[in-house]
Amino acid sequence: MGKSIVVTSGKGGVGKTTAAANIGTGLAQIGRRVCLVDADIGLRNLDVVMGLENRIVYDLIDVVEGNCRIRSALIKDKRLENLFLLPAAQTREKDAVSPEQMQVLIEDLKKEFDYVLVDCPAGIEQGFKNAIAGADVAIIVTTPEVSAVRDADRIVGLLEASELYDPQLIINRIRPDMVRKGDMMTTEDIIDILAIKLLGIVPDDESIIVSTNRGEPSVLDKKSLSGQAFRNIVRRLEGASVPFMPIEERSVVKRLLRMFNNVSGRS
Amino acid sequence: MSKEACIIKGTKHGLSILIPSELAFSEVLAQLRARLASAQEFFAGATVYVSTTDRELKPEEKQQLAQTVEAFGMVISEREVPEQSASAAEHKAGTMGEANEPAEDTLLVRRTIRSGQRIWYNGNVVVLGDVNPGAEIVCTGDILVLGCLRGVAHAGCNGNVNASVFAFRLEPTQLRIASYISRSPDEKLPRPLEPEIARICENVIQISAYQSS
Repeated sequence: MGKSIVVTSGKGGVGKTTAAANIGTGLAQIGRRVCLVDADIGLRNLDVVMGLENRIVYDLIDVVEGNCRIRSALIKDKRLENLFLLPAAQTREKDAVSPEQMQVLIEDLKKEFDYVLVDCPAGIEQGFKNAIAGADVAIIVTTPEVSAVRDADRIVGLLEASELYDPQLIINRIRPDMVRKGDMMTTEDIIDILAIKLLGIVPDDESIIVSTNRGEPSVLDKKSLSGQAFRNIVRRLEGASVPFMPIEERSVVKRLLRMFNNVSGRS
Repeated sequence: MSKEACIIKGTKHGLSILIPSELAFSEVLAQLRARLASAQEFFAGATVYVSTTDRELKPEEKQQLAQTVEAFGMVISEREVPEQSASAAEHKAGTMGEANEPAEDTLLVRRTIRSGQRIWYNGNVVVLGDVNPGAEIVCTGDILVLGCLRGVAHAGCNGNVNASVFAFRLEPTQLRIASYISRSPDEKLPRPLEPEIARICENVIQISAYQSS
């Protein structure tokens, strides 16, 4: 019997879909059977981020309404054979499915897969309630911004009310230069308010924009810093103890340039 | 069906319920229950003043009214409905009668209060944890936060100007005591380093370092 994880945040645009896609792909890369479920009915994005949008025939609503079997709706990933996607419907709305139906669906999927990752929509209404319905554990994604942390805190409270305890946190899009200057919240500031276990820190990375548009999750790119962060998150989910990436530039050239600037007297 | 109905009005001191003189008391209770049930969220936490015209309420009637009102999360105040010309002088300690006495019941909350959560209590509230921004604590007595208070705290919500708010780190978005509201200043202040207590002093909410003596 597999494990179902919901990736949620409250605030929109913080990186839930990116995180779900990358973590799912990363888990499949190390050999696990993974099913990604897009619970954002009406505004589906997970298929785009995975590069599978032109392969969609049936979707989650078709399954729930009995128009097809789950197997027909699942789309196999184009790169990894143990990774599947259950897409959302784009022409329907969030009330097209109920939490009870989602729970049954996720239970069925857990029988076939090691991990079922549910991409939750933004907000706290019906879409959110649907997405958390079948989940065993929750991952909360936030960015280092006051408004995102405020919404994440609300989500922690709502998850606890639904008996989803001990969510884990991913801090996404952290910018080391801004943290150093004091312009951005630090990891400690965020954990101080949210008080949940930290699963990973993902640096702000331009390559995410490129990989999203191409439909190739950055976890597949060995040179990507954000990809490395997601690979670490995958290992931590599997139980390994991985130190957090240091929040500074890894590029040797940049470090040399900084040294050169210091020596010649420039700041 | 009697044509007369209870009138519920909002005033700056709270909710005023006017009971018509001709209505049978059982009918009064039934009407009240129906009205309050239909808008429970709206009324919860409000202070209620009951007034009658040419009608004396018996003690057991007053008791039943209080029970009905409290069942919906409101607080009944013994005071007469205040005159329209009520001035700030009314808020001085001593002229408000029962409202200013220290509350006896205390609620102990053993967890952090998260954004969007609200605690309402008829008495004092002690929180063993933080109160995060977006959370609210409203009570008739004192509020003590054994952690960081970053949300909204409203002590003495029934008009008790002697209520106080205490926290290990007092950094609320808004502080309210009785009908006084105070907000944190716009410029970013250094975080407080010691426990502080907020009280009404000279008609304004003042924050001072807490001294146990």
